[in-house]
Amino acid sequence: MLALRDVSYAYEGAPAVDVITASFDPARLIALTGPNGSGKSTLLKLAARVLVPHAGEISFDGKRLREWPAKEYAKHVAYLPQDPDPTFSMRAIDVVVSGRAPFLGRFAWERDSDYDEADRALAVCDATHLGGRYLDEMSGGERKRVFLARVLAARPRLILLDEPLASLDISHVQQFSALLRDIVDRTGVTVVYATHDLNWAAAYSDRMLVMQRGALALDATPAEVMQPDAIRELFGFDAEAVRAGGRAWLVPKVG
Amino acid sequence: MSGDATARAILIGIRLPRALLAALVGATLAVAGVTFQTLLRNPLADPFILGVSGGAACGASIATAAGLARLPGVVPIIAFAGACGATGAVFLLARRREYTDPTRLLLSGLVLNAFFSAVILISFGLSRQSDLAAALRWMMGTLFGASWSDVALLAVLLVISLAILATIGNDLRMLAFGEDDAKSRGVHVERVKLIGFITASIVTGAAVSVSGIIGFVGLLVPHLMRLMWRRDFRFLLPLCALGGGVLVVLADLLSRVVVISSELPIGAFTAVLGVPFFLSLLRRNR
Repeated sequence: MLALRDVSYAYEGAPAVDVITASFDPARLIALTGPNGSGKSTLLKLAARVLVPHAGEISFDGKRLREWPAKEYAKHVAYLPQDPDPTFSMRAIDVVVSGRAPFLGRFAWERDSDYDEADRALAVCDATHLGGRYLDEMSGGERKRVFLARVLAARPRLILLDEPLASLDISHVQQFSALLRDIVDRTGVTVVYATHDLNWAAAYSDRMLVMQRGALALDATPAEVMQPDAIRELFGFDAEAVRAGGRAWLVPKVG
Repeated sequence: MSGDATARAILIGIRLPRALLAALVGATLAVAGVTFQTLLRNPLADPFILGVSGGAACGASIATAAGLARLPGVVPIIAFAGACGATGAVFLLARRREYTDPTRLLLSGLVLNAFFSAVILISFGLSRQSDLAAALRWMMGTLFGASWSDVALLAVLLVISLAILATIGNDLRMLAFGEDDAKSRGVHVERVKLIGFITASIVTGAAVSVSGIIGFVGLLVPHLMRLMWRRDFRFLLPLCALGGGVLVVLADLLSRVVVISSELPIGAFTAVLGVPFFLSLLRRNR
């Protein structure tokens, strides 16, 4: 579906994404991880067309990104920045229905069918009850659900989420991870999400990409990534693996 | 009979164009205000924040110091030139690598406004005492001497700018979620910003050149409309045009009738009328 070939990007000369090649298939939950500043956000922005690669090529459905009309691409690929924060508070339903924007003509307003899509997306995210509430009256976890619904409202085939689990408490991290898994399994969409939480990523995703200083250091299954030796080398984190529930969990090695 | 004719002449020649100009100036400032707040993603933005008013006032005060203000029609033209010059300068300062950074825009506007204030003060020092009263009145905003040609000019510009802003209304609405988000939704962010800023600046420059600097409308009305309806840019655009028009017409009325035979600054009355209303809405929404 989406394919990156030798993609590079640099901010004012400092490389952020360095010759990355990867591709994403339908119906996968893919965790993008790596130390701070390793280029995860930049990679997502390149795939979302927020940034244009300085070298290499990205294509979607075999067609290069620059050949896709911007709005047409936005119907297939939806992106959620790390901290979406509208300048002025809005009702959740207005936030979600704005996800239909790529389908609107220049002067057109949302139609009933767009509101139906928004309602459906809210239901998928278990957030129907939030529809009439304002963003500034919600908890962090509720806002995340609303913004995920906004992304889903366009029925995209590829969803790019930048650290959707950041600042959630541990029970919401689990709920949200399970929700992503469920959406992927039920709708066949592919979700790529940046995260720092290796254990949760390993528990729920199909595949993990580990970035290091802009390069793709590892692209493998969770079981292959969750090796103490690999983690020590990639993150500089001294871990040991503990087996529970049929899988390996990484815990800090203390003492 | 001749009394009737005089009344008629006053109504058609003075009162009516003045009321219409008040409505147009108010609509223009509120429309520009909501556009700037949306583009800069800043609730404190107003139409004057990027130096449009400073540039216009600077032009007008230099014209006054040079003794040109006594010639009819000169102040508006020079003020408009000043407004356009200031907008251009702010953009040149803020734009780099084909990206216009909102924070750099705000800072450039701030610094330029400070510079203009200095030039205005120096010009006043160099102006003749007899010219100063008119210059000061202009600085505080006045609709005195409104003419049908002012009305026609501003009406045309307002309609054009509303049409332009309506065509980018859906895109401006998406900007509320941030530039990256809007880009990922297929919005040509840089193009939309440029069109929005230039349109709002030019129409503000025109309003300022015919009415001087009427404060508060551009900042207050968008917030008023937002508090009352809480909707996105596409709804706010026509609402602001209406609300701004009504507020300035009322403020102008008050400024003329509070003290008989003297005109008080209209900019003060937009605040006198608007602030209590705004505060009561703010309390109700808590």
